[in-house]
Amino acid sequence: MVHKLEREMLASEFCGMRFDTPLVLLSGCVGFGEEYTRVSGFSNRDAGAVCLKGTTLEPRLGNPPHRVCETPQGMINAIGLQNPGARYVVDEILPTLDFDETRFIANISGSTVEEYAEVARIFDDSPIDAMEINISCPNVKEGGVAFGNDPEMSARVVEAVRAQTEKPLITKLSPNQTDIQENARRCIEAGSDAFAVINTLMGMAIDVESRTPIIGNNQGGLSGPAIKPVALLKTHQVYQVCREHGIPIIGQGGVTTAEDALEFLIAGASAVGVGTALFYDPLVCEKINAGIAAYLERHALNEMAQLVGSLVPND
Amino acid sequence: MSQAHRDTLYVEDARILAREAFDGDQVILRLHAPQMAARARPGQFAHIQCDSCLPLRRPISIMRVDAKAGWADFLFKVVGEGTRRLAERRVDERLSLIAPIGQPFTYQLQHRRPLLIGGGVGMPPMIFLAEEMHAVTGAYEPLVILGSEVPFPFQSRPSQLLVPGLPEGVIAAMPLLDDWRVASRLASLQGYPGTYEGYVTDLARAWLDGLDAAARKEVAVFACGPHPMLEAVAALAEEYHLPCQVSLEEFMACGVGGCAGCVVPVETPRGPAMQRVCVDGPVFDARSVFPPA
Ligand SMILES: Cc1cc2nc3c(=O)[nH]c(=O)nc-3n(C[C@H](O)[C@H](O)[C@H](O)COP(=O)(O)O)c2cc1C
Ligand code: FES
Repeated sequence: MVHKLEREMLASEFCGMRFDTPLVLLSGCVGFGEEYTRVSGFSNRDAGAVCLKGTTLEPRLGNPPHRVCETPQGMINAIGLQNPGARYVVDEILPTLDFDETRFIANISGSTVEEYAEVARIFDDSPIDAMEINISCPNVKEGGVAFGNDPEMSARVVEAVRAQTEKPLITKLSPNQTDIQENARRCIEAGSDAFAVINTLMGMAIDVESRTPIIGNNQGGLSGPAIKPVALLKTHQVYQVCREHGIPIIGQGGVTTAEDALEFLIAGASAVGVGTALFYDPLVCEKINAGIAAYLERHALNEMAQLVGSLVPND
Repeated sequence: MSQAHRDTLYVEDARILAREAFDGDQVILRLHAPQMAARARPGQFAHIQCDSCLPLRRPISIMRVDAKAGWADFLFKVVGEGTRRLAERRVDERLSLIAPIGQPFTYQLQHRRPLLIGGGVGMPPMIFLAEEMHAVTGAYEPLVILGSEVPFPFQSRPSQLLVPGLPEGVIAAMPLLDDWRVASRLASLQGYPGTYEGYVTDLARAWLDGLDAAARKEVAVFACGPHPMLEAVAALAEEYHLPCQVSLEEFMACGVGGCAGCVVPVETPRGPAMQRVCVDGPVFDARSVFPPA
């Protein structure tokens, strides 16, 4: 648990929401917000926000096994957006969540622009605190990264979702695209309030004995420490676009320690996502929080905001 | 979410108390993990970090626990990089584990002649289940059939316990089970002495055929092992109209139900579904995994 003094230092405002800590538990890693709470010592209160699993209009069974495998300093996953559908999430799951613990963010997914809009409409009429538009899932045949890699399509999805809701909208950007800054610009024009940077990088692992891909879906999304340098650069690039608009970023990709989180804050993120690291250590959040608080104290900073984007580039 | 999914999971830094290596890349580790040892049930597993360079955990099923002494035994075989690193760990080192995870086997007195079938690294949960059935009530008369194509991770010996209906000369047993007065027999294609030369399911069939109809009604089947073995066990149970539970394996990431990385296709009353081996399993009704034709 976060101690009182720590709590004051670590709290911040994100799109009008109060985040008790800068950490955000990432979509797809913590189910629908409740699974990890069985783990002794774990608390959603150690996170400023929790992103729920990617949700589509209709229920989805997802991809065949194997869906996950470990790779050097990371892992590949191809879950394929298994979820019970937006209606079920809103009617059956959200009522069981304790909204005092943290902010809960829906992760909106779809195969068509219309589906994104419809899912957003369903979540708009719910207690959910914010919505994250997932236009960067690499593991579904339609929608997902096919939209996210095209700035024009990305903007159309954001615009359609924006028309459905006044709740904070966070657009989750793909690293698998040529010009992430152009994409960010277009999404801001279309009404995005914030960004999540980055989703997984597309990757593959092969069993040499059978010569088949290990992942049932053949390819998947790479996450974990292996992608951190890519994620940091992308975060910094998007920050350069966002800075003048006052648009905040949830930096993510391979964060496992307080130092990793600090790097993202310095690169321009206002909050920091933790996904794969939870698989390594379900109690990692309180360690990261303590490490960030210690750093702020050591550098005589009163609040985290002073750190955000404080990168000192070399000449 | 059912209450069964809500039991507390403990994160423990478990010291290795003992380590024993066997032929065929098999290792038994005894870990000091008192919180999980006090609560674990047969069929459950621990999600273990094998090495800090390979931080994704590996699920390893629990073979025995001693709640009082606070230890748990794990038998595993080197099958990949994770288990290879785990096999290299030595006494007094510490391993981080999350446990006890998963739905355990369930059983009822109506089926007082349980048939437990374990193949390869599927042996541990069967040993745990046999110990619990025997120790808890004494009311059960389990027969444990173990199969292996590498040398068994114990020195087998002729059984003190008679099991009617088995082919002549099939007398080798697991000493630990024999000491508990739980009957066990071994099967392998490798021709080990006293061991049935053939499949575990053939030996099981011989035993079932030796029972009269009334006794056969008291049988329930429990199995853990390679997928083809489970499929054969499920078909056998179906043929003899016996209830059957199987314990499955799948690659895992979180181990706590959060990522849906470990699913298997199952048939449910509401149609096909993808269920998580970690928290919806690892024990499933055989009919949901291998739907009868
Ligand atoms: C198993 C798994 C499932 C994921 N599912 C989703 C998802 O449903 N929606 C989404 O936007 N991102 C999903 N992601 C991506 C993560 O939210 C995160 O952006 C990415 O893993 C990078 O962070 P990390 O390295 O800390 O895990 C998933 C990642 C993993 C590992
Ligand atoms: S391993 Fe994550 S849900 Fe089972």
